[in-house]
Amino acid sequence: MYALEVKNLSKNFNGIRAVDHASFTVPEGSVFGLIGRNGAGKTTTIRMMMNIYVPDNGEVILRGTKIGQEFKNKVGYLPEERGLYKKMKVLDTLLFLAELKGKTGKDVEKKAYEYLKRFDIADRKNSKVEDLSKGNQQKIQFIAAVLHDPEFLIFDEPFAGLDPINTDLLKDIILEKKAEGKVIIFSTHLMDFAEKLSDHIAMIDHGKIILKGSLGEIKTQFAQRNVTLEAEGDLSFLDRAGFVEKVENFGNSFGVRVKEASQTQELLKLLVQNNVRVNKFAANEISLHEIFITLAGKDSNIVK
Amino acid sequence: MTLLIPLFMFGILGLQTFLIQYTDVENAFLVVASESQKVLDNVQDELSRMPKNQDGNIEFMFDKLEKQKLEQRLSNIRTQILEEKITGLIYISDQALKNKKVEYYSKNPNNNVLLNKIKPSINKVLTDMFFVGRQLSTEELEFAKNNVDFNGFRISADKEIVEEGIGNTILSFLFTFLLYMSLLFTGQMTMTSVIEEKSNKIVEVLLSSVSSRELMTGKIIGTSITGLAQMAIWISPLIILISTTWFVLPPEFTLKLSMWHLLFFLYNYFIALITFLGLFATVGSIFDNPQDAQSGIWPIMMLIIIPFFIAIGMQTNPENQIARFTSFFPFASLIVMPARITLVDIPLAHLILSIIINIATMVLIFILAGKIYRVGILITGKKPKWSEVVKWFKYNY
Repeated sequence: MYALEVKNLSKNFNGIRAVDHASFTVPEGSVFGLIGRNGAGKTTTIRMMMNIYVPDNGEVILRGTKIGQEFKNKVGYLPEERGLYKKMKVLDTLLFLAELKGKTGKDVEKKAYEYLKRFDIADRKNSKVEDLSKGNQQKIQFIAAVLHDPEFLIFDEPFAGLDPINTDLLKDIILEKKAEGKVIIFSTHLMDFAEKLSDHIAMIDHGKIILKGSLGEIKTQFAQRNVTLEAEGDLSFLDRAGFVEKVENFGNSFGVRVKEASQTQELLKLLVQNNVRVNKFAANEISLHEIFITLAGKDSNIVK
Repeated sequence: MTLLIPLFMFGILGLQTFLIQYTDVENAFLVVASESQKVLDNVQDELSRMPKNQDGNIEFMFDKLEKQKLEQRLSNIRTQILEEKITGLIYISDQALKNKKVEYYSKNPNNNVLLNKIKPSINKVLTDMFFVGRQLSTEELEFAKNNVDFNGFRISADKEIVEEGIGNTILSFLFTFLLYMSLLFTGQMTMTSVIEEKSNKIVEVLLSSVSSRELMTGKIIGTSITGLAQMAIWISPLIILISTTWFVLPPEFTLKLSMWHLLFFLYNYFIALITFLGLFATVGSIFDNPQDAQSGIWPIMMLIIIPFFIAIGMQTNPENQIARFTSFFPFASLIVMPARITLVDIPLAHLILSIIINIATMVLIFILAGKIYRVGILITGKKPKWSEVVKWFKYNY
């Protein structure tokens, strides 16, 4: 069962195609990363998912039905461009934004206070937002996004401009919410975070989805089939092995490409069986970063 | 722009002068009545020497009438006065020969333009008759220096004939100023708040909870209700004044004002707020800083300022053509009509027509404003061109 299905979304601005037939699915209980370069169409896609922009084409399906106001009440949204009412007091801001989502009462107030405490700004609850530092204002914004206990969390570039401590706090919250069974969708151009946090991703470039699926599968798919080998002995038997695609001799080392990434273990076994002395055997798993560079660095159009 | 500003300023000044001086006497038909045949003859003689004017022809009918029969006569011609077949009745009693007090009965007793044309003739007659065969004392000289004094009596659909004080003129000024000031003030405030939400980016957070139309509607309705409450408080002294006998006004300030007038004024203010706040909010959504917004705001200011001048200029004659026309013109009606209704009786059908026009304008503005607003509030960065804004109407946001 998918929590959210994005089908064929397109959006033009003044004839420029910002998002071009984007389709992907977000499974229940997943942390979903929408990754891509700056200007790739991440924010536009997210705004369409939030029903802030009406798509030119396509639709967003929430558990079988098209999204509407009901969805807005279930979402906690952290936009890329942060902003709050500068003259409003911290606690008032939080309660106001929660009320817009239909949550009022003592419980919300208590919860707001707990979050403020956790973020170490409880003593500022009656300060005006403009008196807070930028980092603290960002904290307020995170709290506003999660305070009404939404089923979906949509964060647009949540890590942009954050110091390491706040980054960790935010990561903690994301993982905590995941443990509670919430669906978390975030966009980022920082591959490290996407790789560490998400279990499903979609990669967008020039408005098109160029890669999507579970992170594990994608990595397996893109795992390098190249093994760097430094060994002593006769390696001619490798040419005869069925799973080896190509052997290149670089002098000091050899580059071996197997047909499937999983066959690197067989390669190692074969080397040992043939009494080759192995000094270095490097079959590194590929990082999302490398996949991103490989795909987005080239000219798009590479779809799974 | 630098060169346009002075042109614009002169244009405004010229327009203001024109509107305040603009007065037209359409063809008027006046009944001149007096107890004395001699007065009538002299007045007739004097009036016949009045230069024929290009902007309107005044016709007279002369009528010898005892003071006791005046009321009878007035009730006979009431319908004709209300239908404007007879512009008014001037009654010169014998008393006028001593104090120059002349009574004027009309639907529009404040028509100074018309009265100022006849005053000299009547004044001359009264002065001449007073001085025939007399030595002059100081008192007499004083009399001679006095111009004739017209006391206006309003003929309205009510049976009563009320002496017209300057109370309603003051009230009409007051209403016009209140409307003008509060529309501009509330409008600017709404625009600033939209610009702030847009420029400090909170609008996207709000849009994750509500739609842009809800956001705009909420803002406008909310501000309008606050504005309405504020206005109700401001005019509450008037409510107390007309509904209680706690305060007694000197006769020259007597108000002809009913609760319906005040209710109409408040209703009209509410519609005006929604209409103009819609425009102000739209301008706010187009620009992301107050400096840029100034260039977008002046067309809206004109929609308030020009009717304001018309309403002020109308005080000398609330039945002039510009006033009549603009009280049915979208936007202008909202400011001119409340002032006019304070000065003269407006037929119910006209009132209903203006209400329909105003509500239609409001709905139209709301729809158009919504279309620009939803696009505008999410666009930041460079100042958009007007041609781009027009394209926003077609956007599928």
